Amino acid sequence: MSVNADSNTVERRKLASKPFAKSDRIFFAVARGAAYSSFVIIALILIFLVGKALPALQTQGLIDFAFGSTWNSAATPEKFQLGPMLWGSILISIIGVVIAVPLAISIAYFIEFMAPKTLAKAVTTIVDLLAAIPSIVLGLWGAFVFSPIAAGWAKMLNQSLGWVPIFDNPEQNFLRSPFIAGIVVAVMIVPIIASITREIFSQMDRDIINASLALGGNRESTFRRVILPTASSGVIGGVLLGLGRALGETVAVLYVLNISFDINWGSILQAKGGSVASMIISKFGEANPSEISALMAAGLVLFIFTLIINSIASYIVAKAQPWKK
Amino acid sequence: MEKVIDLTPVARPKTSQPWAKKSPKFLGSVALSAIIPAAITLGFIALAGMDFMAALIVVFLPIQIIAAALVGATVYGRRGILESLLVVATIFFSSFVFVLLGSVLWSVISNGAAAISPSFIFQNNYYIQPTTALGYGGVGHAILGSLLIVGLSTIVTVPLGLATAVYLTETQGKSKGIIRTLLQAMAGLPSVVSGLFIYAMFIASGITTYAGWTGSLALIPLMLPTVARVTEEALRLVPAELRNGALALGAPAWRAFVQVTLPAAKSGIVTAVLLGVARVIGETAPLVLTTFAADRTNLNIFSGQMGSLPTYLFGYIAFGFDESIKRAWGAALVILIIVAILFISARVASRTRTKARK
Repeated sequence: MSVNADSNTVERRKLASKPFAKSDRIFFAVARGAAYSSFVIIALILIFLVGKALPALQTQGLIDFAFGSTWNSAATPEKFQLGPMLWGSILISIIGVVIAVPLAISIAYFIEFMAPKTLAKAVTTIVDLLAAIPSIVLGLWGAFVFSPIAAGWAKMLNQSLGWVPIFDNPEQNFLRSPFIAGIVVAVMIVPIIASITREIFSQMDRDIINASLALGGNRESTFRRVILPTASSGVIGGVLLGLGRALGETVAVLYVLNISFDINWGSILQAKGGSVASMIISKFGEANPSEISALMAAGLVLFIFTLIINSIASYIVAKAQPWKK
Repeated sequence: MEKVIDLTPVARPKTSQPWAKKSPKFLGSVALSAIIPAAITLGFIALAGMDFMAALIVVFLPIQIIAAALVGATVYGRRGILESLLVVATIFFSSFVFVLLGSVLWSVISNGAAAISPSFIFQNNYYIQPTTALGYGGVGHAILGSLLIVGLSTIVTVPLGLATAVYLTETQGKSKGIIRTLLQAMAGLPSVVSGLFIYAMFIASGITTYAGWTGSLALIPLMLPTVARVTEEALRLVPAELRNGALALGAPAWRAFVQVTLPAAKSGIVTAVLLGVARVIGETAPLVLTTFAADRTNLNIFSGQMGSLPTYLFGYIAFGFDESIKRAWGAALVILIIVAILFISARVASRTRTKARK
């Protein structure tokens, strides 16, 4: 077909389109308003937490508040310092993620690449069900059913590997340790990581997997050389989302952890640890106004932490699924 | 000089014919590799009186790995070893998750069933001490409170989430990406922060004392992301032809949405609502901070402290007496039953959707 060089100069017919009707403008305005409400909610949370936290942050000083390790509302001047809780939250989340990641990836792999279809469906339902169990129910289970069992595991670990510093425990009391709290948190975040990993796996291009198999790859080499590299960024995003949830976990951790301001750097079997969220809920009932301000500041720290982690995570997950726009 | 090309074929890998019938020798060795480690482990537990967990990790896992590796090596050669490792690890870890879930469900059901009776479901907690025997008092007030609190937040959140989903799917808005990121960030909001926020906004500032409606407000940021995201997925599944057809026939966008897109996505939206409710029905921390607990039935959501299932559970675990723990298990079972009902209804709703689309 020959292209007429003059066609550009010919005046194009203009598309006639009516402006939106008034009712439509209202419709779109309502939708836009609702969408911006999430912006408003996040902004309000920040404003109110900062407002209430400022007195405590001013009297304590930002650095001391975040890294000091005394919490005493009876002393004069009152001391509110978050260090052990902050480190405790991170420690528990790390334990939780280390335990949850292999479990979650295994389940996702099992569902997508190993199980027959009906079994895969059933397992998917079971994982979703696990995600739906409220954290307080898990806390109850953790406190009265799981803790004694896990304390037994911890004792075995201590007896066989006690010379490793992190398994050291001179007091020989294995209940309410970061180790147990970490496992309970792992149970909470396995479904989150598993469902995102499964989604990434299921949306992978089947052709590259089949190509790998056709070239003589087996399950293992396909998994290691093809599936994992392709899915890795999505999986990392899922892990970060799980990490965010683990940091914010409140009531489940409260019942299985001995919250102590004596900082525990890494002896995960000892019965002392910390968690910002659980500390807030346990101190809140008997707090005086200045302590409440300090708890608000703790909440603010938690909020900013999880906000950053979640934003990075959702950015990574979105990047890993470019077809989802 | 003539180039010599070696044309003798390489041996075909054993995995190159996955469709070929498995030889009985192969099937037999797989069966043996599955049975022998389990048998040895059981032997250790039964005869030597070994701890179950220790036996599982110290005896079962190594033997199972070696057995599987041997079978893999004899059937597929050296590369079979890693493959068998992958299979063993996958199945071991997956079953570990099932065992954990099974343990949670079983302990709640068996302990909770002992506590549940008509009086436990229907009576309230007035005059009840933590040590009172199980025959008296129960969670009636807490069930009603939970329904009222979650009901109010559902009434607020569902239109909000629906409209947000409309913005994300039906409009040409420029800030879709930011809104989606914000929703994701909100989905990871720690529940205790949401409670602190509402406490700071309404209770610490003296606008109100502890009341049911503050609890409802504290649940909104937790529920909104679930409702908005699942609704968005549901709206996205409606074929573009339907809404373009409506628009081409001259319908304004809002009528195209209300009369065409919305009915087509109805069951998906029902699923979204149910999942949103299931997400928040067990949230404890925000309610502890905003509604506190009450022993009496309080049907007025706008004044006075209000009992709810999670706060009831929270209180009774803290008491620590035998009788109070029994009550806590009962309340946990009630929560789980409600969650299960919501969950199954959501499944049924989404199943009717997939059927309708076929």
